[in-house]
Amino acid sequence: MDNIGFDGYAPTWCPGCGDWGIRVGIKSALEQLGYDPSTIFMSFDIGCSGNMNDFINGYATHGLHGRSIPTAVGMKTANHEMNTIVVGGDGGIYGEGGNHFLHACRGNHDITVIVHDNMVYGLTTGQVAPTAKQGYKSKSTPQGIIEVPVNPLALAISQGATFVSQGFAGDARSLIEILKAAITHKGFSLVNILQPCVTFNKVNTYQYYLKHAYKLPEDYVQNDKKIAIAESMEVDEEKFPLGILYKEERPAYHEQISQLEAPLVKRAQFTDFAPFTSSFV
Amino acid sequence: MQFNWKIGGEAGFGIMTSGLAFAKIATRSGYNIFDYAEYPSLIRGGHNTYEVLVSEDTLTAPKWDIDLLVCLNKETFNLHKYRLTDKSMVVFDPEMFSPDIPCIQIPIGFTQIKKTEKIDQMMVNTIAVAASIALLGGDLNVFEQLIHQQFDRKGEDVVNFNLRLAKIGYDEAMKSTLLKLDILKKKDVVKQKMVIAGNEAYCLGAMAADCRYYASYPMTPASSVLTTLAAWQTTNQMVVRHPEDELSAINSALGASFAGVRASVGTSGGGFALMTEAISYAGIAEIPLVILLAMRPGPATGIPTWTEQGDLLFGVHAGHGEFPKMVLAPGDSEEMIELTMKAFDLADVYQTPVIVMSDKFLSESHISPDKETIDHLLQNHKIRKGKIVSDTKESPYLRYKLENDGVSEMLVPGKKGVYYQANSYEHVEDSHTTEDVGMRVQQVNKRNAKIQTYFKNDFELPKIFGDLTESEIVFVSWGSGKGSILEAQKLLDDKKTAYIHFTHVYPIPEEPIKQLFAQCEGKRIILIENNSQAQFGQLLRMQTGISIKETFLKYDGRPIWPEEVRDFIIGKKQNLNSEKAEMKIQESKSDSQSQVSSENETSEEDIMNKLAQKMA
Repeated sequence: MDNIGFDGYAPTWCPGCGDWGIRVGIKSALEQLGYDPSTIFMSFDIGCSGNMNDFINGYATHGLHGRSIPTAVGMKTANHEMNTIVVGGDGGIYGEGGNHFLHACRGNHDITVIVHDNMVYGLTTGQVAPTAKQGYKSKSTPQGIIEVPVNPLALAISQGATFVSQGFAGDARSLIEILKAAITHKGFSLVNILQPCVTFNKVNTYQYYLKHAYKLPEDYVQNDKKIAIAESMEVDEEKFPLGILYKEERPAYHEQISQLEAPLVKRAQFTDFAPFTSSFV
Repeated sequence: MQFNWKIGGEAGFGIMTSGLAFAKIATRSGYNIFDYAEYPSLIRGGHNTYEVLVSEDTLTAPKWDIDLLVCLNKETFNLHKYRLTDKSMVVFDPEMFSPDIPCIQIPIGFTQIKKTEKIDQMMVNTIAVAASIALLGGDLNVFEQLIHQQFDRKGEDVVNFNLRLAKIGYDEAMKSTLLKLDILKKKDVVKQKMVIAGNEAYCLGAMAADCRYYASYPMTPASSVLTTLAAWQTTNQMVVRHPEDELSAINSALGASFAGVRASVGTSGGGFALMTEAISYAGIAEIPLVILLAMRPGPATGIPTWTEQGDLLFGVHAGHGEFPKMVLAPGDSEEMIELTMKAFDLADVYQTPVIVMSDKFLSESHISPDKETIDHLLQNHKIRKGKIVSDTKESPYLRYKLENDGVSEMLVPGKKGVYYQANSYEHVEDSHTTEDVGMRVQQVNKRNAKIQTYFKNDFELPKIFGDLTESEIVFVSWGSGKGSILEAQKLLDDKKTAYIHFTHVYPIPEEPIKQLFAQCEGKRIILIENNSQAQFGQLLRMQTGISIKETFLKYDGRPIWPEEVRDFIIGKKQNLNSEKAEMKIQESKSDSQSQVSSENETSEEDIMNKLAQKMA
């Protein structure tokens, strides 16, 4: 029973969906790093992205829409020896769970957040997502969305994330490398993945990204916050940088809790209650 | 003999600190206490009060009449004089005001002492507490030891300064009175007593239950659990987090619980509302979780620093969809410890959310159990984890295996060669998602089966206080209603009363409860609740078909007073002359917020109810 693989049920995504490539990326990255389903925590959000729960094996939660980050934070806190990965969509992570996202960046929780960014809600059949370009017309915004898009990269960098990257579902090879770096990074890692929704988004297609995305140059300096912010703002010009925009070393959340030298789940039970009852006398 | 001491002043005066100090002085002198504090939702400027009832006997509720009122400002006197009798002592500063009703006057020149000693208002508390000790025949040395304990780490100067102020207060009071009381006279042998409120009891219970993760977003009256556990965490190795919101609190707790540690969250109604979706997730994914719901009067922000049992049905029904859930409602701090420890066991044994109900009255009022009793309780608790295992022989491992008792083996994640998910979607036995007709029904049935298993193994019938068979009057209540009803039974000692006290409030099995109430046929049965819609009455009717017609309901934000229960039963108000009553009515600015329904209702009762809201 030791030879277990990551392949779960056959995916039910639409043919051509970017999620296929992301799944391959995650699976390959984990395999290449030497993980198996028993050595990884996964926290799946709700949506087409989160449906990966049945397609990739692991000790996993498939919880509530928008809450995959706090769930992962709890999992990591309870057992920090387990590498912990969040898989969600732009709606769950930046919309419903936006508050959790920015606070997890601040805390530098040692989790890897992989976001399927397709600018649209797939599973609920095509409403607009928070990352959609202003004016994007969808079922829920027939006159075009009034809000400007969330900028996940700039948000993450400014709120204290220590690893901020962007990948493209159509370039699995580069994606694997980004994912490996993100999973290996100690601290909060964001991998925002540009993922065409072939069914509901007729604007941000594979062809669109081939035209609008670009790889960061090889001599790109990853640890300069100002450069990273400037690069993240390129999206305003409809340009999408691919690669690791920002990376710094800072102690992870659990490393700053003195109680967590040994994993919380593994320590012995505390039983010396007398000093506590005495304090009430 | 019960003696009721009360201190009042502006918020920010340090009223809470002095009240707790007085309570500890009483217990360290060998007495029991029950205390009760009132404060507005403000940091400065509002009116704060703290009352401590002292007795040689065990106390479970506050008392209406005030025996000694310490007024740090004029407002204290004006707001509380309707609870004074002509035998009440009033400590006041003649420079501020003098009492205008018959009472025993104890003038102490706080303002003058402030000027002479160049002290700020906070320090006046020390003087006031020491003066109280003098008036009640207490031992100043007990207070001095407390001062040492509190201030030693701040250095000798601070200690000596406070000791000097205490001496001044003590001497001033001695000058002001010729009374020789022995209310606080130190006993030769003093048993170690704890001064402990419901929230603190929850902390002790959670610690003894091996809770390792507590997450909470501050909200009165649950906040002190967060701050207490946070202060303890480096010693007891619990991880205590104050996350960005209640959604994060509960979902992170579910994550921690999934990963194998006992976890809990605490909040009040508004925060609990935000948590309900996750409670539902815990239900279907079968993740153990203990939730402390410390109620305050709503709806919405309501009156945040006051008390009510208004969220019982909300707690019981929290979470969409159908799933088992247990709701426990302790009646005092000791029961809070017992039921908190049990809640963690139930959460594990049934792999489902368990709610512990409290309210501001229970969460923040202190009682004084023997330390020995509590130590014994904590040390002898044997943790039950049910089918939660760290290793498994099952292959393939089926997280949601169909079992007759409704509970499947839950493997703590980490074992090599195994994986599974805690799935919020309906799932097959191995935890993968399904929409299959047969499996859906089987999994629903499996989860529901936990309820019958709970009835068989862990449900506890209500406790009966008094002789049910002999009784003519039967009180029915739940949770924090306990203390005042027990005290009311004492006040009604010429009548045969019994009290049915529910702590396991949901779910309730029909037959045993019907049998219990069959014994009450022909008796006067009264449902007592601190809410307006008789929520437990509704719940009891829903679960057992038993309907209680006569109710005493109170929902003005104040707790139920034993005297109110007594007066409701006897149908009249004692020691309340009409003149005094008129004065009180004029003070009462708004309409009655208390509702009683009884054939015995009198206009005097109306008056009393109007007064109840003025109890600040």
